[in-house]
Amino acid sequence: MSTTTLTHDEAHHHEAPKGWKRWLFSTNHKDIGTLYLFFALIMLFLGGASAMLIRMELFQPGIQLLDPDLYNNLVTNHALIMIFGAVMPAAAGLANWMIPMMIGAPDMALPRMNNLSFWVLPAAATMLILSFVVPFFPGGGTQINTGWTIYPPLSVQVGMSMDFLIFAIHLLGISSVLASINIIVTLLNMRAPGMTLMKMPMFCWTWLVTAFLLILVIPVLAGGVTMLLFDRHFGTSFFDAAGGGDPVLFQHLFWFFGHPEVYILLLPSIGVLSHVIPTFARKPLFGYKSMVGAMLAVATIGMVVWAHHQYTVGMSLGAVTYFMIGTILISIPVGLMVFNFIATMWRGAMTFETPMLFAVGIVLMFTFGGLSGVMLAVVPADMQYHDSMFVVAHFHYVLMPGAVFGLFAGVFYWLPKWTGHMYDEKLGKLFFWTNVISFNITFFPQHFLGLAGMPRRIVDYNMIFTEFNVISSIGAMIFGLSHLLFLYIIFKTIRGGKKAEGRSWEGAKGLEWELDSPPAFHTWTVAPQIK
Amino acid sequence: MRIPDYQTAELRRKNVRLAWGLAGLALFFLVTSFPFWTGIFRIVGTQAIQ
Amino acid sequence: MHNNQKRETRNFKPDSICRVIQTNRSRLPGFWLIAPLSLAMGDAAAEYGLNFPEPAANVAQEIFDIHMMTMGIATFLLIIVFAIVFYSIYFHRKSRGYEADQEFHNSWFGNWSWVIVPVMVLGVDLTIAGKADAVLKKVWDVPKEENIMDVKVTGHQWWWEFDYLDHGIKVESRFVPAEESGDLYLREVDNRLVLPTGVKIRFLHTSADVLHAFWVPELAVKKDAIPGYVTETWAELNREGVFRGQCAEICGTWHSRMPIVVESVSQEKFAAWVDDQNAIKLAAAAEASVDKTWSMDELMAKGKPLYDTKCAACHQVNGVGLPPAFPPLAGSAIATGAIADHLDIVIKGKEGTAMQPWGSLNDLEIAAIVTYERNAWDNNTGDVVQPADVKQAR
Repeated sequence: MSTTTLTHDEAHHHEAPKGWKRWLFSTNHKDIGTLYLFFALIMLFLGGASAMLIRMELFQPGIQLLDPDLYNNLVTNHALIMIFGAVMPAAAGLANWMIPMMIGAPDMALPRMNNLSFWVLPAAATMLILSFVVPFFPGGGTQINTGWTIYPPLSVQVGMSMDFLIFAIHLLGISSVLASINIIVTLLNMRAPGMTLMKMPMFCWTWLVTAFLLILVIPVLAGGVTMLLFDRHFGTSFFDAAGGGDPVLFQHLFWFFGHPEVYILLLPSIGVLSHVIPTFARKPLFGYKSMVGAMLAVATIGMVVWAHHQYTVGMSLGAVTYFMIGTILISIPVGLMVFNFIATMWRGAMTFETPMLFAVGIVLMFTFGGLSGVMLAVVPADMQYHDSMFVVAHFHYVLMPGAVFGLFAGVFYWLPKWTGHMYDEKLGKLFFWTNVISFNITFFPQHFLGLAGMPRRIVDYNMIFTEFNVISSIGAMIFGLSHLLFLYIIFKTIRGGKKAEGRSWEGAKGLEWELDSPPAFHTWTVAPQIK
Repeated sequence: MRIPDYQTAELRRKNVRLAWGLAGLALFFLVTSFPFWTGIFRIVGTQAIQ
Repeated sequence: MHNNQKRETRNFKPDSICRVIQTNRSRLPGFWLIAPLSLAMGDAAAEYGLNFPEPAANVAQEIFDIHMMTMGIATFLLIIVFAIVFYSIYFHRKSRGYEADQEFHNSWFGNWSWVIVPVMVLGVDLTIAGKADAVLKKVWDVPKEENIMDVKVTGHQWWWEFDYLDHGIKVESRFVPAEESGDLYLREVDNRLVLPTGVKIRFLHTSADVLHAFWVPELAVKKDAIPGYVTETWAELNREGVFRGQCAEICGTWHSRMPIVVESVSQEKFAAWVDDQNAIKLAAAAEASVDKTWSMDELMAKGKPLYDTKCAACHQVNGVGLPPAFPPLAGSAIATGAIADHLDIVIKGKEGTAMQPWGSLNDLEIAAIVTYERNAWDNNTGDVVQPADVKQAR
């Protein structure tokens, strides 16, 4: 199988429509993938800008730039935009682009639902941005000063912008669930003949697990925020102790979603790494089966340890012991994954193009974030770390390498496939180094801030915390601005560059590399036969 | 929006059936996550007493 | 201990801002040398403010120890991973002519690593979990003893209320603005939480409005304050000193302005402090119960400091508030309208907003505050609200 073979008739019917209709009415997995990726890129810059404002405020003690409610609002929006707007759509974009090409399917199983699940997103993003903007108008109520966890009773006090936020979360959830259903159906029903589940590329496996996680946990979040809405407006008291409710119940519902969400963000990037590392080490992925097993274990254990985010709410000794041991045990499958990546690199013939640089960086920094995660799992020690800057440092060390850098690696890895052009390798490497170094400058000092006693989500701090905050803020400015280079590289590659071959990387294996770069509008209309 | 013509009717039925099954799973988790009915009953109950 | 001394100079003797910045600057270059080392050498790290402050309670010491242990294990594993990865990327690269070993994953090691690795990780996990479980058992449940001292800690937006249940004393603890606190800005309060050493103290946490969390690093105590719930922690202080913490759960606008200052004193000093507090309380009660008609000037003089501590965080010293969350009082319909409505909202609060009931204040205090609010900032209603009016309004 060299390239797709289209009969004349098919080619005629499937020409890409022109203009805005091509995008608005698209049912083509590649176009929808592109839409997802550009949407995520816009959101990445919105979320990044809010993060830079936060760090600018924290550059020096005192309140210089943002009043406290605006600061808290930015903290809330930074998290929601990055998680729901940037990382999840970017991962869905990669899934849309790559899954049909990887499993030899002509398109997603439910192409029109695919269109719907994308076009819900801009509406959701509008709601999310409105929740931020509305308080600036007269009569717009107070700003969302709760953080992304929107814990009641504080979230009940907030004005109408909280309602916008709740509806934004509903829309984002609908989009994710629809996309997940589509991905699962595609993976289960549309694989090329001969491709058994255990021959499926690793990226597909990670998305299969991710999609199941999404289907199981997003509805719980939706339930939680709906009850919040009822408490706010319809006189119920699900979360109000005065009316017989329970404020902690919301935290349980939120983290029942929130902890698996971490793996939802993480797993697609693990999938990307499972392709990038073998490609540039020029040898097969070490431990395919154990990787699949580890992933299933992570997803399963990850569903039942949510309460380690709430050790301080006053659970019984038995409950915290269970959640502590469960959480510590997650290190086993995660450790196995990291081990498999290192073993794939071991005795390979490595070259270090940008995707591989990110991959190596991820393995190192994610290990770091994972180990501080084990420290956090220990309940007595968490009595100190909890809600301090140490936690902020920890989850940025997990999510930035684990999710965002993985997506960067994926973008650089598949950009030649998508555009037909090689990106500028020198600029790619420059981006990697500025990005990764400034990331570490930003977040490493925050560990010390947390240990010294600086709580998270404060707008103003005592001067004993100044020096590390200065370092962190300087790092954050470089880190934020470095993404302009990312943007430049992407557009430069789209416009032109060295012609990419079908198999853009020497060591690349898999069905997607059997296609042209860029691939035809419809690919694998005749399914390949897998031996 | 063009109806995709690369799927056989049988495959399409299979896809849609699985999709509904998964939607049902999502719905099940949504409903069970609600102590919703207790809340509704509480409102109804208190208003009835008043 | 050297560490201790250094911390004290920094925290307790307010230097001029210039000097502190100078010291900071001189310490900055050293940081990059120290930071990597600090991970390996926990005790040394403490001296540079890179680690937890020195514990001041028995339990806190054990928590500190387990923190050091897990950090040690994490550092050790991290070094191993880094070493292997860097060895591999140095030697196993194509540019050195290294040929990829295509059968590595099919070797004996490749076939059994899925058992070996989890077993090794499990070993590490059990080491951590075993130690953690032992410490947790000591820390988690409050010891059942007769002579335990109870302190009820209530979080408010945005101040702390400490009720010494065994002594009948109530302390309101609020943030002190920068002009008065200087270097201790956001780390100093008007009334400290005074606690005796060598006594087991049980903290009962609750909240009057939204979630808060009580956190003092030296005590290694952190617990959420949840409205409608009472959660417990305990500590036994083992040295005297002043320990500073902050609210650790986001609680709205002024989450950053909820410092907690624990003043740990000997039992004799604590007993003396208790006597002082009781005397003050008696004097205030006596004053409030005097059956007299207060003049406008007296009430305004009393009202201003009360307003500034209890109301100004939201409604601001100049009465303009922070709309839309905190409405202005200057020229407001409540503060210039009917006295009964004004008293009602102060005593009973307003549901669904940050305005809490202030009924716990005595009649004189409420009378003074309301009089002040009705006559300050050009409100000039000329109304004088007497304690008797307040009593009637309750």
